[in-house]
Amino acid sequence: MSSLTAVIPKLYQEYTTKTPKKLKIIDAYLFYIFLTAVIQFGYCCLVGTFPFNSFLSGFISTVSCFVLGVCLRLQVNPENKNEFQGLSAERGFADFIFAHLVLHIVVINFIG
Amino acid sequence: MKTTIILGTLITFLTLVCADHETLVLIDNLNIKETHSQFFKSLQERGYGLTFKLADDANLVLSKYGEYLYKNLIVFAPSVLEFGGQVDSEAITKFIDDGGNLLMAGNAAAGDVYREIASECGFEMDEESAAVIDHFNYDVTDEGDHTRIVVSPKNLIKAPTIVGEQNTQPLLFEGTGLIVDKDNSLVLPILSADSTAYSYNPKSQVKEYPHAVGRKTVLIAALQARNNARIVFSGSLFFFSDEAFNSPVTKVHGDKTKSDVSGNKILAIRLTEWVFGERGRLRVRNVDHHRQGEKEPSSAYTITDTVVYRIEIEELKNGKWQPFEANDVQLEFVRIDPFIRTTLQKKPNGVYEAVFKVPDVWGVYQFKVDYDRVGYTRLYHSTQVSVRPLQHTQYERFIPSAYPYYVSSFSMMIGVFLFSFVFLYYKEDQPKTKSE
Repeated sequence: MSSLTAVIPKLYQEYTTKTPKKLKIIDAYLFYIFLTAVIQFGYCCLVGTFPFNSFLSGFISTVSCFVLGVCLRLQVNPENKNEFQGLSAERGFADFIFAHLVLHIVVINFIG
Repeated sequence: MKTTIILGTLITFLTLVCADHETLVLIDNLNIKETHSQFFKSLQERGYGLTFKLADDANLVLSKYGEYLYKNLIVFAPSVLEFGGQVDSEAITKFIDDGGNLLMAGNAAAGDVYREIASECGFEMDEESAAVIDHFNYDVTDEGDHTRIVVSPKNLIKAPTIVGEQNTQPLLFEGTGLIVDKDNSLVLPILSADSTAYSYNPKSQVKEYPHAVGRKTVLIAALQARNNARIVFSGSLFFFSDEAFNSPVTKVHGDKTKSDVSGNKILAIRLTEWVFGERGRLRVRNVDHHRQGEKEPSSAYTITDTVVYRIEIEELKNGKWQPFEANDVQLEFVRIDPFIRTTLQKKPNGVYEAVFKVPDVWGVYQFKVDYDRVGYTRLYHSTQVSVRPLQHTQYERFIPSAYPYYVSSFSMMIGVFLFSFVFLYYKEDQPKTKSE
């Protein structure tokens, strides 16, 4: 228990100092998506699944955005450079945008 | 030449008119024509063509070339052992199956042919020589066996279409008792005996428990088959005789009911009117259904449509089809099970209407009107329609409860848009900070 209380401030400190600001932006974006998903799920539990297609498309759109965001974060992270040899961060971002285009077209089709 | 043509058309017209009224009367001796003259006269006055034949006549036929010669059959021949010609209990059963009406009257001496026909129709006649005895309700004219019983009109079935509205005079009855099969829902006990009556051989001591005791002893029974053929079976031939029609009634015991004339004649006429289809006949004249607000009938409805269903029912009254008046006609909207069962609203001119919402379940449905009341012919009408789901364009586009989901997915799009700007902007910004 004492080790856990010691770890958390350390983790926080490491994060604030060592993580590039760019990744922090992505993390903030991910946090925003996560919040939206939780609120949506809570609303669905309260109101019921009636327009089920709308719920699915709304919820899946947040989940997919989150997954895509995590993917982008992996590619952009300088520590993973060895994993993505020959794939630049710009290329990663372009893929991210393309995947988003496809995702949102599907979501709009399915929502109403 | 001209007169023969006119005569010919007149005759064909007359036969067409009278086709419903052709009646064969089977009697066991010609004397019955005299002893029951008032009964036969009342039938002839109402336009029935009566053909009298001896029941054991060797040339008896009911049908010729596959067509029935008669619509109605009266059997007043209790002493007959076997019918003559082509008539037997099987032929009579087939006659009923093909829609013919039968009036049959027996007495204590009626033979096995009677029992066979009775059991085919769902009644049971008591054993040979058994008669209904009532020591408390017999008439003064009784000869000592207490078999000429006086029956109160209160013992009649409560069905105005069969026995008429007003029956106040006591009825005279002398004959055998009937036992009605309780499980047969088509059989109607028209007249039952008082609780003091029983059915046994009046000449012998009562050694066994009688077959029919008290109110279970049915004196006159009726049956309306599923094909609307009608049968009236009386245990007493005496009931229809001139003697019973005209004789005054005086009960010996009890309340000493007295009446100048018995109620037999009126009841006999009412019964023949019913059994030969002059009364209590219904038919559907017109059926119409459409969406509310439209006029054209539709073969397919969409779920939750509001539908108007109209049915026009007619009743035969005094030989004419007239609007039928009732307030208990029901409509069912059936897909295997009834999804909707509603009472039809009465409108003028025998039109019945129901306005209802089609259930939220699609499939093949039927509008069903099944009106089955005592004394009336069974009225059954069904119309098939399909109920289909909403078309793609008929669904609601924006549902209020789904707005959070819309907002979230649009916020995701805007989020990506803004995020890309921030992300791209930072990309250029970072090297600068590093170099500084």
